Amino acid sequence: MSHRSLPRRLYRLVARAGTVLADRGMGPAFLLPAVILLFIILVGPFFYTIFLSFTDLSYSTPGHDGNFVGLTNYRRLVTDDPVFWHSVATTLRFVAASVSIEMVLGFGLALVLASQAHRPRAVMPLLLVPMMLAPVAVGLLWKLVLQGEFGMVAYYLRKIGLVADDTSLLGDASLALPTMVLVDVWQWTPFVTLVALAGLLGLPRAPFEAAMMDGAGRVRIFFDITLPLMRPLLAMVLLLRTIDAFKEFDKVFLMTGGGPGISTELLSIYVYRVNFRNWDLGYGAVCAFMIYLVVLILCKLFYAALGQAGGGKST
Amino acid sequence: MFAGILLAVTSCKGDKKQGPAPSAGSSATDQVVGPWSLEKAAAPYRGVTLRTIGEALPPLEAMGRLTADFEKRTGIKVVIEMYEHSEAVNKVMLDLNSKVGRYDFILQPHRELGRFVTNGHVLPIEKFLSNPALRDPSFEPEKSLQPVLWKEISQYDGKVYGFPFTALSMYLWYRKDLLEDLQEQAGFKAKFGYDLKVPSTWKEYADAAAWFHRPDKKFYGTAIQGKRHEALWYEWLNFLYSFGGDMMKTDTGSKCGPVIVNSPEAVASLEYYKSLVKSSPPDTLNYFWDDVMALMQQGKVFELTMWNDSTYAVEDPKQSKVSGKMGFATLPVAPDSKAGKVGQIEGWTYLIPTASKNPEAAYLFIQWMMGFDQQLAQHLGGGASARPDVYAQPDVKKLSYSQASVDTNAVARPKPTIPQAPEITDILVRELSLALTGTKTPKQALDTAAVEMNKLLGACAPLVYPVQ
Repeated sequence: MSHRSLPRRLYRLVARAGTVLADRGMGPAFLLPAVILLFIILVGPFFYTIFLSFTDLSYSTPGHDGNFVGLTNYRRLVTDDPVFWHSVATTLRFVAASVSIEMVLGFGLALVLASQAHRPRAVMPLLLVPMMLAPVAVGLLWKLVLQGEFGMVAYYLRKIGLVADDTSLLGDASLALPTMVLVDVWQWTPFVTLVALAGLLGLPRAPFEAAMMDGAGRVRIFFDITLPLMRPLLAMVLLLRTIDAFKEFDKVFLMTGGGPGISTELLSIYVYRVNFRNWDLGYGAVCAFMIYLVVLILCKLFYAALGQAGGGKST
Repeated sequence: MFAGILLAVTSCKGDKKQGPAPSAGSSATDQVVGPWSLEKAAAPYRGVTLRTIGEALPPLEAMGRLTADFEKRTGIKVVIEMYEHSEAVNKVMLDLNSKVGRYDFILQPHRELGRFVTNGHVLPIEKFLSNPALRDPSFEPEKSLQPVLWKEISQYDGKVYGFPFTALSMYLWYRKDLLEDLQEQAGFKAKFGYDLKVPSTWKEYADAAAWFHRPDKKFYGTAIQGKRHEALWYEWLNFLYSFGGDMMKTDTGSKCGPVIVNSPEAVASLEYYKSLVKSSPPDTLNYFWDDVMALMQQGKVFELTMWNDSTYAVEDPKQSKVSGKMGFATLPVAPDSKAGKVGQIEGWTYLIPTASKNPEAAYLFIQWMMGFDQQLAQHLGGGASARPDVYAQPDVKKLSYSQASVDTNAVARPKPTIPQAPEITDILVRELSLALTGTKTPKQALDTAAVEMNKLLGACAPLVYPVQ
């Protein structure tokens, strides 16, 4: 028996044993470690958060040791917390603005790159840089370049007259959120471009050639062939970006801390404040649970809309 | 994201009692043979590593430079983690709540004290002070520390939990060179009808800010710390106290009292504070202490209110363009107010967590750091001591900002340290920021704050002034 054949034999033995066990209904048992891990890091904390939401646990208020309070926290959220609802509205505005701009810009850029098939390889690495940076680094970088006195971008924006001398992009309550949107667009448009470009380059050529032979123009081809073929992929990118933008925290927290006032206080920042600044963990659990609910509802709506548009088929 | 973290930090909750007492009173360490010495007291802990955490500022950096001597004498190693203010507070809260005991002693702002004590997270220092094996007979904090500062910064409800790491105060920073410029003096007098001098009233402060405000030359009269950050609350307190207002009617920070944060005096202080925005840089509503400090170091501001633990950096020629050109004084006063000269008591305090793995060794280090020689060296290296004898030293007197610290400490007023104090801060930061942006009027903002404080604190904090 040669030494080389030993691992192969061992492999065959294990594979045969696995087949035998699976045939006898033992297959699901192999999933047990993964299920246990999933329970510990995901399912368990999720249900614990729901449990906490029915308690008054707080590290700030004496006597609030985790006593059961029923729906009190939920009532407070619905009837007595305007800041929470303001942060929900701010988050929705942020998500709608940033994701829609990213989708349009990203897809547009992908179309341009796809039409110049030999160039994407040279351009893509440059486009990917913002996406590869850590959100904290992006936040610090933009805070620095937009800083009114020392920031390079702020300086040139003033120099070319796009921004008035006495205007502050991060210190003005009406400009801070649009600035956050632009930073997010800068970071995540390349992601949309990357995925859309991969999709465009992988499209079958036959429908395009047939349309051209039939005399269809570029606009007609785009709306009747390119867009329908790309729709499932774009829908997936839209969903991923929406969920991700909904969780945005690092960049905005670093740049404005949720201010000025509450103009950039996203839901994630508000929940962070309640939980880890005020340590009001019972109420904070309700707020955290609400993020989950809002994202769940968004996903449902999204899939429903996609199903309708696709004649009942969903991605 | 939040679910996992919540599970981690709440898993040990429920046991509100203080953890097992340290072995500070154990018989092994009670045996005192011969006169007390640090080397002898530290012998049982040789080889131990102490880990601590604090804010990355000159006082902590100065402490870092001193630890080598302690390590050499005791064989106890000291590891210091330095973070930004909020980060240093949050990391400690996570460690204390999870009872991991990463830190053997901690350095925390005193507004957190009530929360730590109520949750049983920190040990009373009495156990260590009464242990002859640990206590240096020459260590007499009752005599060496300024009593009011020690009481407000490191004591809660009559019990001692530590010693002041820094006794901080905010006072006036101004450009002495510009104030003494003859041309500026003449121009100022022609416009305002009185001599340009160190502002002693808030009107003079506003006039000086308006005079020196030259945005076309990228030079600003003042710079307020208007970012939605604790810095905003701290800065506004100077104006609040000075205008005769307060947050609650109490005589000490560890007690709850009627809410007076929306008093006419408080509203007037916020209106005045807001009026300074027009003499500040355009980005002032996104600036906190680091930003205005950088502006001053770059020579772009005439005056501002700032912390004493930052003065070292503005007077250091390696870091600052205006070193030697600065003047420091107590805060101006509001002539119509009875408050007179005021300051605010603030400080970071040494504390020993209940979960500390080496409480005795930690106490020995803290006690050593509170000694005169270490306090003097730390103060000269950028610290802010709570020992009056340090300020009496010729080397300290020579510091351009020393007198302003002494004078401000003498009139400093306490702020809440009750468990809900950080939440009160959070409410006020939000409402102050809304007032500065013009989303709310100062009256509306402070009314909202008053109502929320009343809701948070309950019966012990009734509203005194009507809300709109």
